[in-house]
Amino acid sequence: MKVSLNWLRELVELPATVDALVELLTLAGVEVEGIETHGVAIPNVVVGQILESVQHPNADRLSVCQVDDGSGAPRQIVCGAKNYKVGDKVPVALPGAVLPGDFKIKVGKLRGVESQGMMCSADELGLPKGEDGLLILPAELNTGTPIADLYPGDTILDLEITPNRPDLLSVNGIAREIGALTAKPIALTVPELAAAPVSENVIEVEDIELCPLYSARTIRGVKVGPSPAWLCKKLESVGLRPINNIVDITNLVMLELGQPLHAFDAAKLTGPVQVRLAQEGEQFLALNAKTYPLNPRHLVIADSKRVLAIAGVMGGEESGVTESTETIVLESAYFQPRNIRRTSRELSLSSDSSYRFERGVDPGGVLVASQRATELIRQLAGGEAGPIETGAPVAVLETPPIGLRQERITRLLGVEVSPDRVNQILTGFGLTKSGTGWSAPSFRSDLTREVDLIEEIARVIGMEIIPARTQARFAAASATDRAYDRAMTLRAAAVAQGLHEARSLTLVPAIPLGVAFTQIAEANLQRVKNPMIDDQVVLRPNLLHGLLKAVRDNIRAGAKSIRLFEIGRVFSNRAPEEFSHFAAVVSGPISERSWRGGEGSDADLYFLKGLVTSVLGKETTFEPDSNPALALALKVNVAGKPVGFLGQLWPADARNLDATAPVLFAEVDLGAFEKALQGGGIKRFREVARFPAVTRDIALVAPLDVKHAAIEEVLRAANEPLLTHIELFDIFTDPSGVKLAVERKSLAYSLTYRSSEKTLTADEVNAAHGRLKERLQRELKLSLRE
Amino acid sequence: MIDQSLEQLRADALAEIATAGDEGALELVRVKYLGRSGGIAAISDGMKSLSKDDKPRIGKLLNEVRNAVSAALDAGKSALLADADKAAFAGVDATLPGITQRLGTLHPITQLQDRAIQIFRRMGFALADGPDIETEFHCFDALNTPADHPARNEQDTFYFGDGRLLRTHTSTVQVRTMEKSAPPIRIIAPGAAYRRDEIDATHLAQFTQMEGLYVDEGVSVADLKGTLEFFFRELFGKDAKFRFRPHFFPFTEPSYEVDIKATALGSADRWLEIAGCGMVDPAVFESINARRNDHAFDPEKYTGFAFGFGLDRLAMIMSGVTDIRAFTDNDQRFLAQF
Repeated sequence: MKVSLNWLRELVELPATVDALVELLTLAGVEVEGIETHGVAIPNVVVGQILESVQHPNADRLSVCQVDDGSGAPRQIVCGAKNYKVGDKVPVALPGAVLPGDFKIKVGKLRGVESQGMMCSADELGLPKGEDGLLILPAELNTGTPIADLYPGDTILDLEITPNRPDLLSVNGIAREIGALTAKPIALTVPELAAAPVSENVIEVEDIELCPLYSARTIRGVKVGPSPAWLCKKLESVGLRPINNIVDITNLVMLELGQPLHAFDAAKLTGPVQVRLAQEGEQFLALNAKTYPLNPRHLVIADSKRVLAIAGVMGGEESGVTESTETIVLESAYFQPRNIRRTSRELSLSSDSSYRFERGVDPGGVLVASQRATELIRQLAGGEAGPIETGAPVAVLETPPIGLRQERITRLLGVEVSPDRVNQILTGFGLTKSGTGWSAPSFRSDLTREVDLIEEIARVIGMEIIPARTQARFAAASATDRAYDRAMTLRAAAVAQGLHEARSLTLVPAIPLGVAFTQIAEANLQRVKNPMIDDQVVLRPNLLHGLLKAVRDNIRAGAKSIRLFEIGRVFSNRAPEEFSHFAAVVSGPISERSWRGGEGSDADLYFLKGLVTSVLGKETTFEPDSNPALALALKVNVAGKPVGFLGQLWPADARNLDATAPVLFAEVDLGAFEKALQGGGIKRFREVARFPAVTRDIALVAPLDVKHAAIEEVLRAANEPLLTHIELFDIFTDPSGVKLAVERKSLAYSLTYRSSEKTLTADEVNAAHGRLKERLQRELKLSLRE
Repeated sequence: MIDQSLEQLRADALAEIATAGDEGALELVRVKYLGRSGGIAAISDGMKSLSKDDKPRIGKLLNEVRNAVSAALDAGKSALLADADKAAFAGVDATLPGITQRLGTLHPITQLQDRAIQIFRRMGFALADGPDIETEFHCFDALNTPADHPARNEQDTFYFGDGRLLRTHTSTVQVRTMEKSAPPIRIIAPGAAYRRDEIDATHLAQFTQMEGLYVDEGVSVADLKGTLEFFFRELFGKDAKFRFRPHFFPFTEPSYEVDIKATALGSADRWLEIAGCGMVDPAVFESINARRNDHAFDPEKYTGFAFGFGLDRLAMIMSGVTDIRAFTDNDQRFLAQF
């Protein structure tokens, strides 16, 4: 809300500087969002008349002028502008003036010619930018007149009023707040309300809950015309356009008291006004020239023929006050905020009026505002005012007194505030003390509980004087703490593997990239009802989409090697709906190029298997999986329990991401991972081997389809007690068929034998090794190369 | 006579050792003089024919010569190795670039979140958690948000078909925590929140918040101030300047926004809003009690403070990131900077 400091100053004494006022309001909870300065508040700038202008002897672009500044003696000023003629009146900044931007005017020489001041453009005075060159003033002005008199300075603050303080949506309200904060008296423009002219129960109000108080007052014989300058200036200072004296007065009173008013042209009404709900399909032409379709949720003001206004939101085009209006009906009412808010939103129509009604106007100020407007109308437009007529009887608002315990203040604020100070603060805000507690004024509907009063005290005393206290407590680790720590350990492991951590949006498109949803039933997706954009419709069921998108975007940005991981929430319709996942994606060269060697090969399935094992730990194993959406797929197990999958995209899917190298992906459910590791948190010590190991190599020639896992399984199943480690150290094939038949491969293993009790003899090792060789030959029909 | 030839042999051997240019030449010298059929062996063989008187003297001289030649050979060998070592290192260009290992990075939001968590843990806060998909009760009703509050509108909040919603703030975790545990409560809860904001350089429909709650007997604004000042000083440095500006939130009273003087971040001299906080509104305790069907959070007995701040915004301020979208674009060139 915009508020003029000149206007405020009429009501209350302001702090000495704008900065001090801004600070005062800010620290009381009224945020200042903008500060505009209007007009010219600079001393030593006066109206001058150009008497003579000659070419500067040393500069083509400058002229030397003689200017009458009203002092009697002409003043010589060097000038660069071209838009004037001799005889024009212009603003002249005299030596000593300080223009915006801290530009100090002094007597000086310009290219060797003395200049005793400066003639100014609008811009240079901080006025709205006009035409280029000097600001040409009206010829009838007297020279020597201070410019500040022509363009009186004002500062406009743009205030952010929090929703709990509708009482601050008026100049009176702000003045009252400042007065309370600075303990200064205020001079509010609140008229005496004569009790007599009110006649109750006259206006028909259909829904008393939506409109507990409606008043109308007929004023006959008004003369509609332009408003006086003082009124126009007030409206314009906060950005309202003057229309005519009647409309301007309703706006002025709204700005002044915070009570929106509306004036109807009585001649355009058919029968008495009534307050009712709109009918389904009823149309309304508002004064913004737009037509709105209404329904029975909308409260309207109507006559017997048509809708005159959407209650509290906007008046109608056809019933407004015009030049020819002679009799007006002046409306002042209290509408239920909730309904105004809904109506405004449904119709996408808001106004200064709806802004105030939807936050709640002062119910005690409705008739006062009507009276204030009536007085101004009689003063500025003449006319005879009838009585104020209302709908339901005007209820006397009785709010129960609010108890306030001194002890409670100390307990909540952590500092003692003396009872005198409390009284001073609350009295300042307009509260009155009775035997049982404090009564809040009608404009402070936000004050109903003890804590509301304590907040007022807190606002005034400020945070400065409250001591900073720190109390520690012992905190046991929660399940969330443990899960967080485990996730951080995984993160550190992934980073050590060269992966960058990604964070993707959890809302993803309904049709994601590539194969992201292939394993997910449509019914299991969590889909938002009101997405904003097509890209954010479904809560991700896994981390695939975000990381594949990152692969594509990074490749398009020129990356050759993709190394990313993410830990985040994924969603499903099945309980418990939200799961924590870890995922990694790799593509491109394994190592970085250096002067010592190239980038090496591209990441492949084996690289990612190794990486996943490094991150998840030694208990990670893999088993073949069948997922037709992937070229290669493995299940990831930890401690023998399934926790996720790993795979390589089909090249066609990789190409869709602009990837030329294989794209590999792994995803693990951290809940399952945690469960699999249950009890595995603390590692048990194992005796370090004290006797030397013996290794024996073995080279096998096998058909191409014999799997490493099958060989390993045969070796393990043999249960040789001395065999402690199996290492595959070479695979050889020869496509030319020279060294090895084309359909065969050679696998070389190194087997490690060790006893925990003694140094093994060659015979013992040979015997075990021989048994294993024999077993491999027998069970897998492999031949051995010696 | 034999003395003479031994001395001659020693002189010859030492001279040849001195001129041997490589290990091969030294080996030839060794064979020539110390080998089985070398000069010293030949003289040694001739010892048998010596008189009893000469034997000990010549034997001693023989040993002396053998040791001298052997020592000279060892010394020559070491000298040659040392020369070779020197030559091997002479050509090394120590200015060649180092061979780097690929190292990953933690996301800047994760790094900031972890710093924040570590600070609060030092103050005795434990982590708490709640779902992203929430009920209106946990997101609004329990937090004293009126039924017609604009935030509840479908224009501002993502809803699901069943009436649930994506939480608009992590304050839901306050409610979740108070539902299942009794005072004292001292928690922080980082997590995602969602709002239907137009996406631009400072807004995403999804952002990361950190929430905190402390409920106990005798918790006051002084504790709120002390806790947040300690936290932000740990985060921004001990000279950082703050102010607590009164504000309005439905679920706290009194409520404040915390501003930091931007100079603490090497930026212009102005206040930047970084957090919202306040004393838990008694209405929140009452709605939790109603939900629990007990009086565990008796507002007469317990007070508490709550706070929340946006990690994305803080990370932007601290690292000078000008577009919030950079945090979810996952550009490796961006991520590798942190």
